[in-house]
Amino acid sequence: MTDPMLPPASTAMGAEPVIPAASPPDRPSLPPGRWIRENLFPNTRNSILTIFAILIALFAYRGLLNFMFSEERSWIAVRTNLRLMFTQAYPEHQYIRVWVTVGTIMVLAGVSAGIWARWGGVTVKRLMGWLMSGGVLTAAGVLVREPSVLTDAAGESVRDDAGELVRESFAAAMADRWVWWAIAIALLALGLVLWTSLDDLRRRTIEIPVAWLIFGLPALLVASTWVVRYGHYGFTEGEFIAEPGQLVAMTTRVPWTFMWLILVASFALGRAARDRAIASAQAAEETPNGGPSDEGADDDAVPELPRGALARTRTSVNLLWVLSPFFLYWVVMRDPEIDYAHVFSTMLPMGLAFGAAGAAVLWLLTRSDAGEVGRLAAIGLLLLAAFHWVAAYFGWYSMLQVARIAFLLLAVAGLLAPNFAGVAAQRRRLVGAWLFMVLIAFYGATVINSPSTVETPTDMFIGGFSVTLLVSVLTIMLSFPIGVLLALARTSRQPIFRVLSTIYIEVIRGVPLITLLLFFSGVLPLFLPDGMELAELAAAILGYTLFSAAYLAENVRGGLQSIRRGQYEAADAVGLTTTQRTGFIVLPQSLRVSIPPLVGQVIATFKETSLLAIIGLFDFLRMANSVIPNQSQFLGVRRENLLFVSVVYWVVAFAMSKYSQRLEQRVGLGQR
Amino acid sequence: MSTQPAHGDATIAVSDELAARDDMIVCREVDKWFGDFQALSGISATIKEQEIVVVLGPSGSGKSTWIRCINRLEAHQSGQIIVDGIELTNDLRNIEKIRSEVGMVFQQFNLFPHLTVLDNITLAPIWVRKKSRPEAEELAESLLERVGIPEQAQKFPGQLSGGQQQRVAIARALAMEPRVMLFDEPTSALDPEMIKEVLDVMEELARSGMTMMVVTHEMGFAREVADRIIFMEEGEIVEVGTPHHFFTEPAEERTKLFLSQVL
Repeated sequence: MTDPMLPPASTAMGAEPVIPAASPPDRPSLPPGRWIRENLFPNTRNSILTIFAILIALFAYRGLLNFMFSEERSWIAVRTNLRLMFTQAYPEHQYIRVWVTVGTIMVLAGVSAGIWARWGGVTVKRLMGWLMSGGVLTAAGVLVREPSVLTDAAGESVRDDAGELVRESFAAAMADRWVWWAIAIALLALGLVLWTSLDDLRRRTIEIPVAWLIFGLPALLVASTWVVRYGHYGFTEGEFIAEPGQLVAMTTRVPWTFMWLILVASFALGRAARDRAIASAQAAEETPNGGPSDEGADDDAVPELPRGALARTRTSVNLLWVLSPFFLYWVVMRDPEIDYAHVFSTMLPMGLAFGAAGAAVLWLLTRSDAGEVGRLAAIGLLLLAAFHWVAAYFGWYSMLQVARIAFLLLAVAGLLAPNFAGVAAQRRRLVGAWLFMVLIAFYGATVINSPSTVETPTDMFIGGFSVTLLVSVLTIMLSFPIGVLLALARTSRQPIFRVLSTIYIEVIRGVPLITLLLFFSGVLPLFLPDGMELAELAAAILGYTLFSAAYLAENVRGGLQSIRRGQYEAADAVGLTTTQRTGFIVLPQSLRVSIPPLVGQVIATFKETSLLAIIGLFDFLRMANSVIPNQSQFLGVRRENLLFVSVVYWVVAFAMSKYSQRLEQRVGLGQR
Repeated sequence: MSTQPAHGDATIAVSDELAARDDMIVCREVDKWFGDFQALSGISATIKEQEIVVVLGPSGSGKSTWIRCINRLEAHQSGQIIVDGIELTNDLRNIEKIRSEVGMVFQQFNLFPHLTVLDNITLAPIWVRKKSRPEAEELAESLLERVGIPEQAQKFPGQLSGGQQQRVAIARALAMEPRVMLFDEPTSALDPEMIKEVLDVMEELARSGMTMMVVTHEMGFAREVADRIIFMEEGEIVEVGTPHHFFTEPAEERTKLFLSQVL
């Protein structure tokens, strides 16, 4: 349609081989005037619609600005309480724990970005577009915002005889907003300078690395803490101190600056590791090797495949991501008071015994001649493990919970044993994994059962955004495997699994989340056997997990159904077992297909954590909605906080959504 | 054979009664229904070691169903199928055993699209045959060399042409070092110019002494390579014979009709 002049004859002479051009023909950008005419005002009907839409947008923009800049707003409440909203009443002298936590996340994020991210660049044209749009928006905002209310010498708002607020004249308002004019003009000028100094082709081809923007914006924020009077808030020796209008305390400014440096440094580290791997891969490719094993000299280089080295780094970074939430929450933030007498008398010997005995059992089960006896023994282990839980319920004999968990883990490892049987390297891998699991289980149990030493006014030692984040991260991590298992069960050939899973999913999906949460926090404790307790937070996470798992299961099931029958047959034909077929062929493909709905569910879970406020936990939303409006300095200040909270939720959710789009593109590479 | 001692003693004892020593595939009176429709009726045939058998027949004659029964992608309802001395029953261990001895190549290739060509080939040797990764990769590279595409190892299946994909599929099946190869219409989904490259690989394989059972519509291949041709129609074996006999002096009226349509 765009080019009717294209000769239709070219397709008719199909016999002639079409020589592909070296690059697609250059399509210069339209001049701005023509772009606007063609896209916004191409005909009468579209022109009317365009003007109508612009008017609506301006109206909404004006409302937002009037709200934000109204003299009734006290944004100082938000600025002063930033720390409260993110970490609640975490004691000042223990705050180093928070910084260690943030620092760990920064290191992981930086290294991951360094290893994985392919950000590319932003063209100058696009950057220019952003700058000029920013300028135009700022200028429009200055024009449409209503004039400010006049204040008298005492700082009180002036009212006329009818009691209405008196506003300054339009001209005075425009003059008063000179700072905003300056910003608008600066943005526009910068855009124009870029525009005029480059020709069209260079505008479209010169790129600015996205990394600059990604690290530059936080740098600006961090730098602002050294200049802007955000106000300060702290919890020291059992007392809240809120100091509006102060510069941010050194104990906040310095760590944040440090955090930024850590982020950039670990990004550089990850990038360097990746570049080195790529470089050695290219070097290996350039080395001529006629046959894979012809020359003995080259063989020494072959085991150090860069693909393998980079893959191992990636696997360990992933593992650290999985373990870090638990470690950071229970060990770093919680500062458990470990009872060493108990550790040395019970946990340590017990853990060693489990590790050694389990390793011996698994070594036997992975013998190549274990066969049917081995499978039966694994099922026996499972029954034994299950029996311990039944016995716990009826109170027949006492046993440490961690021992029951260890028995269960051993049974699972035993059931997986046939997949690792035969080869010594794989047997060692299974035994190694078992020892690692035992370590985690016993260390985790010790830490979780030790009381926290952090003293706060509520029984929870963290609150605000950190609770929101903790609950969503744990919920997503726990519900994911459960969801996948439920989806597999629902599509299984075994009727009992299919029926149970279907019932579970349909029941959970038919119950409102809030009902489930209230049930788990209020009703479930009544059903628990004597002596068993469920912390409020654990109950909430359990409720969220069970809820989210049902939805995830349905999303994964959609992916499972998209796998063609031929894939199952091919996996069967090469002799893979059902477990291997599921793990290597079916799940990887179906999870790729389900990325968009899975991320949708993750975002939904993140946002639904705001319901925590209803069952009495101090989450992000409750901080904004109930805690700050009750502070003596900021009585009744609520709307500002809510807007701020919405923006934070939006930023996180938007980042996840963007990430999922990139993820789709990346895993789509092999799919074509 | 090297694989023989791995069988349980009981299996071997039974197998001696079931089939002669050099019988690779034995079918006795195999019946298969899909609902009320009988897809196979009374199929009896024996394929010897190192024999190349081509199965011909019109669409819907049950050729594919039969070949899929041999490694239990479909279950037969009555009769016996014995592969390499092991009878196919509902016993999962026998099925796994047979599947690792029998390679299969599909009409639609069925490569794993999320794995590279190399990973497609090494997956089963590593996890089923318990080979080490370097060992399996070495094997995969030599097989890719054999099917003529050593340079494609790091690509994904979607980046290859149909003929290349089918050759990867053959390499994947060969990586399990099977005793028998089953081909289910391996060239039917290919463009004409790619058929030859796949047939060349199959001919080379036949010359190397592999036992093969091939369902195909390629009369040229059947004539040149087959030791025996089995002609099927409506789920029954109509005629069995050497290519010479089959193409020049077919005994059955139905065979003549079929040949007059395809030649």
